[in-house]
Amino acid sequence: MDLKYVGKNIKRFDAVKKATGKALFLDDIKLPGMLHAAILRPEFAHAKILSIDTAEAEACEGVVKVVTGKGCDFRYGDNIRDLVPMAVDKVRYIGEPVAAVIAETRQQARVAVKKIKVQYEPLPVYVDALAALEKGAALIHENSGDYWHLPGLGPKPGTNIANLYQLKKGDIDQGFKEAEVTVEGEFVYPFGSCAALEPHGAIVWFHEDKTIEVWSSSICPFIIREEIARVYKLPESDVRVHIPELGGCFGYKSDITVEQTIAWIASFVPGRPVKWVATRKEDFTSTLLGHGIRIRMKVGAKRDGKLTALRTTVYHSTGAYSDTGVHVSIAAGHNSAGTYEFPHIHQESYLVYTNTPPIGAFRGYGHQEGQFAVERLMDILARKLKMSPFDLRARNYLRPGTTSSLGERIYVSNGDVAKCAEVVKKAVFQGEKPREDDQYWYGRGFAALTKTPKGAPHSSKGCYLKFNGDGSVSINCGGAEVGQGLRNVVRQIAAETLKIPPERIRVYTEIDTQFSPWEWQTIGSMFTLQGGAAVVKACQRAIAMLKKTAAQVLRVEEDVLDYDGEHVFLKNDPEVKIEVHRLTRGYMYENGMTAGEVVQTTSDVRLPRYSGPDVNGQGTMGVSYTFGAQGCEIRIDKATGQVIIDHFASAFDVGRVINPEQIRGQIAGGVMMGVGATLYEEVKFDKDGKCLNPHYSKYRFPTIKDAPRRQTIECLETPESIGPYGARGIGEHPVIGVAPAILNAIQDAIGVEFYELPVTPEKIKAALAAKGSGKAGK
Amino acid sequence: MAEAITFKINGETKTVAIEGHEKLIEILREKLDLTGTKCGCDDASCGACTVVVNGEAKKSCVFPHAKLNGAEVTTIEGMTGKDGGLHPIQQAMIDGGAVQCGYCIPGIVMELHALYSRNLEAGEAEITEALSRHFCRCTGYEAIMKSALLAQEYLKKGRKKAKKGK
Repeated sequence: MDLKYVGKNIKRFDAVKKATGKALFLDDIKLPGMLHAAILRPEFAHAKILSIDTAEAEACEGVVKVVTGKGCDFRYGDNIRDLVPMAVDKVRYIGEPVAAVIAETRQQARVAVKKIKVQYEPLPVYVDALAALEKGAALIHENSGDYWHLPGLGPKPGTNIANLYQLKKGDIDQGFKEAEVTVEGEFVYPFGSCAALEPHGAIVWFHEDKTIEVWSSSICPFIIREEIARVYKLPESDVRVHIPELGGCFGYKSDITVEQTIAWIASFVPGRPVKWVATRKEDFTSTLLGHGIRIRMKVGAKRDGKLTALRTTVYHSTGAYSDTGVHVSIAAGHNSAGTYEFPHIHQESYLVYTNTPPIGAFRGYGHQEGQFAVERLMDILARKLKMSPFDLRARNYLRPGTTSSLGERIYVSNGDVAKCAEVVKKAVFQGEKPREDDQYWYGRGFAALTKTPKGAPHSSKGCYLKFNGDGSVSINCGGAEVGQGLRNVVRQIAAETLKIPPERIRVYTEIDTQFSPWEWQTIGSMFTLQGGAAVVKACQRAIAMLKKTAAQVLRVEEDVLDYDGEHVFLKNDPEVKIEVHRLTRGYMYENGMTAGEVVQTTSDVRLPRYSGPDVNGQGTMGVSYTFGAQGCEIRIDKATGQVIIDHFASAFDVGRVINPEQIRGQIAGGVMMGVGATLYEEVKFDKDGKCLNPHYSKYRFPTIKDAPRRQTIECLETPESIGPYGARGIGEHPVIGVAPAILNAIQDAIGVEFYELPVTPEKIKAALAAKGSGKAGK
Repeated sequence: MAEAITFKINGETKTVAIEGHEKLIEILREKLDLTGTKCGCDDASCGACTVVVNGEAKKSCVFPHAKLNGAEVTTIEGMTGKDGGLHPIQQAMIDGGAVQCGYCIPGIVMELHALYSRNLEAGEAEITEALSRHFCRCTGYEAIMKSALLAQEYLKKGRKKAKKGK
């Protein structure tokens, strides 16, 4: 395919505003009469609220209102409706909103909120799923059986289980009967924070005309709109949600998080907008965390390396509310089969209420946790079988003719994991690794990976396209730009399809539910695939409209006409033509009479036959697969235990590269995020559920000094049949193989098998000391 | 409690009434409407709020107002020319592909402005040291380093041109 704009490094149009500090983020917005809120958080992670005394806070300077959860009679959520905007009679985690002060200034609100006095009766605290599952554990949600939930999901009343997902493929007993070798392990992916540089925030304004207006640092304006409309009993059309520029997301600005709390607070001061922006501590403890996943996995294989069986049990500590975590645990389950065909699978995911902040989306969404386990076990199995880890994997890769854990057939158009593996093997594993020296041990590691979209079956992305009077084009989509560059993707795809230069196409800046097409939410690395396809469709419809008007004017049939971006013309005689700008608002004859429609189109695209799980936990829940491989060359400092990544290589079969510079940025950034999770990052809680490191200074955020010294990044292009110009998703994928690749390399370097993240220098030193010698194990 | 402080901001002398608790970032964002300076944390970790005070890169989230009297402060808004033209460092951030979500960019521009104003010959180690004071969650730092080097190149070219012009 000869493409003019797709595949080119066209500069993103939002860069100038961002580089000059003029891009408007949530906290930059000031509205007339705006008030500020500060929120009180509890002293205990699980406790009954006995009383709240607000008198002293109410008397503070500038205070307009003090708000508690008293009288709140609704719960909200998109999947399992278990969330409350503010604690009513008990608190379930350390960051839960207990009360709030609304004041004229942020400072006044923060001073006054400290004056609220609350009496609690502490309850038992569970930080880990296993503890909350023990017999006799106190219930975190006493009435979970009453919660509304999507069909097929939901809590087990009388327990702390918020959901149990089970997947069955084949006959697991048969699979292990056939196995000649088995390996197993228990793997822990601890709590992490997406930790975007811009913290969460929201502004909510209850207008006198009974409409509600919201601004939020969120990627799901329509879910916010629908949920707020539902609880305040308004038509959805009377709630308007704006999404300004977003300073990163990485998952935790999806779903509905802080908005209902700010709406609850603002509902007490109708007529005035109320702003709240999280402190970094609140961003850690009062929004969403990621992971919290423990996986027990057992793999069976024949001596020749043919895989026969996979048993996975996921224990997901989902925090105090499960609405945002439920699909993560499901994804962690069915993606734990990785890039391999297992004929027999039995898999269970226990989503368990605990007393930590709720767990939600984190870039990778269950994929990195499950594949961390399977990719570690593939290396362990290869050693046991005395096979090359590459040969073992290659023997079992998903390829045309195989079926995934979900029972979906794999086709050529799903891409080629074996080719990705070859690229990484060539980049990292050529020749011998350096020999151990006085200062360092050296190692190399590999992991294959896959990702499928994860979202609601009805998830759809739309596009509104408008040809202007001068032939330029305005495009609105509902896709949230979080930095990944999707608006530039829209522009390049539109330019390609409309055959006009990108400079003539203006893509939306903010999302506004009043003007933007409906989009479920911008998650699951689905925008390029679905949103891009919607853009193609809207462009094609616009071209068809131009031709229809031109056919009328030229008195021919539409099918004899062609379009080149500037003109609509006769195929057989291109000199018979009409300029596009004369057709965009209908064609005006010399006497002013105008014929033809105004060229404005809409479109939407969803994944074909995308479904929820059937009774066996299977279904068309992937639809589009992206395969990849990652590998690394590391050094471990003998004195400090520090892992230094000399080279990290990634190869993904992305179907089609839309913008090479942007895709490299996505992959390099994703790898870095994976490195952080692997070697440094963990949000820690003590046994009382108190967060020990809710600050950047205590949460080990990777800096430029931690970056891989060199990254090899290659994209393969096996076209996806449903994606725009063959493209498929890539946003989350780069984080998925990082942890197993590095841990496999650590094993290669020092012979120690790690099963838990993060692998800090202290853990490496302790493991070596435990081995007795402090010397390399091989 | 109210007092007034006078300092130079982006070339203009301003007097601001303060209540006493404010850090520099609040004065910039809330009193002077200079919202280009971003807040990512409150413990001087992330560098998003970096501005230049008396020639040095400072984290405005912890910079006390008491030290501000008579100081000379430059923020991201002061980098763009009066004609709207971009500063070479800003241009380099764009050209090098460093801008993704963009939240960290103003702070990084100011850090590099301080560094290159002091030493345009800074080597990679010194540049890395300066950039290590800035968190970025998007890029993996690759494009930021590339842009920092590009900025140095642009500034050197600009200096050469200026010399020729004399």
